[in-house]
Amino acid sequence: MSIKTYLPSPSLSLIVVSMTTILLSACASNLDNSVSSSIKLPPTDNVKLQLLNEAELAFLRDPKRLRWFNLTEEKVFNQLAQRDEQGVKQYVADMMTTMSAASFQEGQDSTSNINNGILEPLSNTADSTSIPLNIDAQGYNKSKIIQPAIFDKYKRTSGPINLQRYVNEQGGIPTFAGAPVAIRTEDLIAGQVEVAFVGVPLALGSGWRDSQHAPTVLRGMYGLGGYDIAGGVDPTLILSIADFGDIATSYLSTELNINHIREQVSAMIDAGTIPFIVGGDHSIMYSTVAAMSDSYGKTAFSVVQLDAHYNGTRGLDHYYSDAQSVSRLLEDQIIDPENLIQVGLRGPSQDKEALEWLRDTGVKYHTMVEVEEKGWDVIQNSTIAQAKNTESTFVSFDMSVLDPAYAPGAGRPIPGGISILQARSLVRRLCAETKIIGFELLDVAPYLDASYKTALNANYIMHACLTGIAMRKQGITGSNHLDPLAFPSN
Amino acid sequence: MPSRAGVVPEKIDSATPGLMPIEPLKDIPENVLTILDALPKMKSEFIKSGKSNIILKSDILFDLLSSASSTKAEEYIDTIMSIHEQVEFKKGRDIESIELNKASPDFNSWRLKRPQSMNPEREPGPISLGRYLGGGRSGIPTFANAPVALTPEDLIAGKVDVAILGAPLDMGSGWRDAIHGPRAMRMLRRGTGGHDVSTLINPSSVLNIVDYGNVAIDQLSTERSVQEVRSMVREIAETGAVPIIIGGDHSLEYPNVAAMADVYGKGKVAVVHFDAHLDTGRGRVHLLSHGQPIYRLMKEAHIRPEDYIQVGLRAHYSKSYYEWEKEIGMKYHTMAEVERRGWDAVMERVIKEATESTDYLYVSFDVDVLDPAFQPGTGTPVSGGLTMREAIPIIRRLCAETKLVGFDIVELAPALDSTYVSTLNANSLMFACMTGIAMHKKGITEKGYISELSSEHGQDDYYGDKK
Repeated sequence: MSIKTYLPSPSLSLIVVSMTTILLSACASNLDNSVSSSIKLPPTDNVKLQLLNEAELAFLRDPKRLRWFNLTEEKVFNQLAQRDEQGVKQYVADMMTTMSAASFQEGQDSTSNINNGILEPLSNTADSTSIPLNIDAQGYNKSKIIQPAIFDKYKRTSGPINLQRYVNEQGGIPTFAGAPVAIRTEDLIAGQVEVAFVGVPLALGSGWRDSQHAPTVLRGMYGLGGYDIAGGVDPTLILSIADFGDIATSYLSTELNINHIREQVSAMIDAGTIPFIVGGDHSIMYSTVAAMSDSYGKTAFSVVQLDAHYNGTRGLDHYYSDAQSVSRLLEDQIIDPENLIQVGLRGPSQDKEALEWLRDTGVKYHTMVEVEEKGWDVIQNSTIAQAKNTESTFVSFDMSVLDPAYAPGAGRPIPGGISILQARSLVRRLCAETKIIGFELLDVAPYLDASYKTALNANYIMHACLTGIAMRKQGITGSNHLDPLAFPSN
Repeated sequence: MPSRAGVVPEKIDSATPGLMPIEPLKDIPENVLTILDALPKMKSEFIKSGKSNIILKSDILFDLLSSASSTKAEEYIDTIMSIHEQVEFKKGRDIESIELNKASPDFNSWRLKRPQSMNPEREPGPISLGRYLGGGRSGIPTFANAPVALTPEDLIAGKVDVAILGAPLDMGSGWRDAIHGPRAMRMLRRGTGGHDVSTLINPSSVLNIVDYGNVAIDQLSTERSVQEVRSMVREIAETGAVPIIIGGDHSLEYPNVAAMADVYGKGKVAVVHFDAHLDTGRGRVHLLSHGQPIYRLMKEAHIRPEDYIQVGLRAHYSKSYYEWEKEIGMKYHTMAEVERRGWDAVMERVIKEATESTDYLYVSFDVDVLDPAFQPGTGTPVSGGLTMREAIPIIRRLCAETKLVGFDIVELAPALDSTYVSTLNANSLMFACMTGIAMHKKGITEKGYISELSSEHGQDDYYGDKK
């Protein structure tokens, strides 16, 4: 039964007062007889609603507005029952007043930030529609300026620099996959680098914020190099890989990073590489996918997002954050929703409204419920088939897609995720069976894991993609190809 | 000349990047001068003006130029000028502010207060959450196991002396987790109750203490959060209660102390600032961060540099930072002073400065002033800090021997400490201050008061000073 049954509708206000009484008493008798499993209403009567005007009644009739206060009609009736008609009026009016103040109020920003004749630039920032920056800062853009080669103290020919002293060095200076270092795009071009790792230490996500340390920690962890039994290749041998260092980030605002990351990833694409982006939180996805779209065209690629979170929150006060990277990409028409495939969704932010939005906009999503129901093989095959609708694929891997057993060090962990085996299989297959144009691994929060587990698994995920790319380079692109040497008894 | 209350210190921007006059290059070598003078005037004047210093230090520039051909020299200078054009703010090209989504239906939601009429009706006053007469260590976790107050009316009705407010701002530049500082301190419970051994005072029996909940924070903007923090801290102080703010990162010091100035007057409150870091950053793109609360407070004349006393400094700041503090009149006490003079001498000096400065005192305690042995759970730890045996007495004494109007503990990041130690120490420091406030309320404000009863058994005259 909807609340409309109990509350007078505006057009029928004269006659429904008595109807309300009847219906309420009917429900009460249901309660008494314990025959109904529907909403149990406390004893109340229409008198309580007498003082409410039409707007207030409409407010009580709107489940969306009630939900804003974490209320349902049942909970509301419980509250009404505890109050007299004055109290009910106050209760509803206060909620409405509060809610009406939620949006920006015209004139809200007209308060002065001059107090006692002194400028206090932040004194009314919460009432303002923008956050002021200090334009007097010397070297306003300096953190994003790339040092030109002409000022190198010691000159060198462009190309990746190998930092290993010994032929068989383990350890030494930590780089992604032990790869040589490329400092500028000229180095990537000269070295004909196929895969370039880059760190983006931006940690302004909605969970634990330690992803700014992920690039450093993953550089210092094993698992990114060497032979892969399933693929039958050693990607670090077959591919030309470089560590492109980190992209500069401003640590106080996501907004100030969006364009710079987009430009830098574009420069990596222009240099002919497949960027492997190590975040950073999931807000980075906006910039990375936009860079792909800038270079390859909006419809040329699919985005496969392995993530517990759909990241499609809409209507927030800030324009950019991890929770809205997907909605922003779609609203800004950077990708088409049908080219976005999400795998591993679970947890409370994927509520009915979120799922309906995904379904209605045409995003292809695979929840963990579907994984459980149909099995991982079906989901893998379906994901790969969907990705094949376009020429190429970008993979956005959020560490939270793994179960916390495999990745306790994820910034936004949610139980009930996929295993490392499942993840590696899908990632390797995507990277072998479709043409990868970029890969990102986001939201590793190292300090949440006192063990090596999360970092090792993160590197093994990226190794699975490197393996797939190497397989593809060798011409191995068949469905779920596994190297025969992995099965001696066959 | 000492600064006047309510007036922006004259030399505040003598060393603020972007606001300092750019000095022309000095001591240009003869051969470099010859090369420069051969260039088009616009280019040579640009270099001589000193504007290139931010791109390339002059000694490196001179080295490059003196060994360069005239074509190469011009290429160097063209590159510098092109970078300079990109690096400095340019209206129209660079953003001056970060736009927010005015159309958002939830533009203000983050800081909207829940109407009290949604709760069952009650008289104003602190709400005790305990079920049993005996109290104890279970149940709903609150700061210091204190009852909860939600409104200023609750504070007034409860004649509250101390209101503890959580402020989970999580934007610090190091490891982040200050968002969980308030929660960790509430949940640990230990360290906040019972009698202080040095004074035999139980702050919870002497004072009316409440947990005032958390203040709303926009986790994507320090700037947007501080207005709400300032208004909540002011709301507490206006009732006469001492706000204790549990961070959250050190940006909070700005709204906290600004609120003190709102209530007690500009330039009327002194600050003792415990920290490994100077926090005198300025001239950066963001107007506030956990490295620049002090500049903003002084730039807006909320406090005078003379009333600003720092303790425990040791992070790797350059000479120029100390020179600036000296120039504008701040009082700093580094770990170098502790090394040279010993802790007791430094402590006495700090307390003397704090009591002589102004009528009112605010204490800001960044937990990284402690050595990481005592405080691994903090975002920007620095080795070689204070011990708890040094920190407890100075906090207790400052809170007892001055008219304390506010206190904060910031930068506790529990995720970095898998043990309870960091949180226990933070709770113990809050307890030390509350002990001091209780002593002050009872009129015990003599220097270095220690209980006769607890400080020795007195069965003989071992120390030779038995009364």
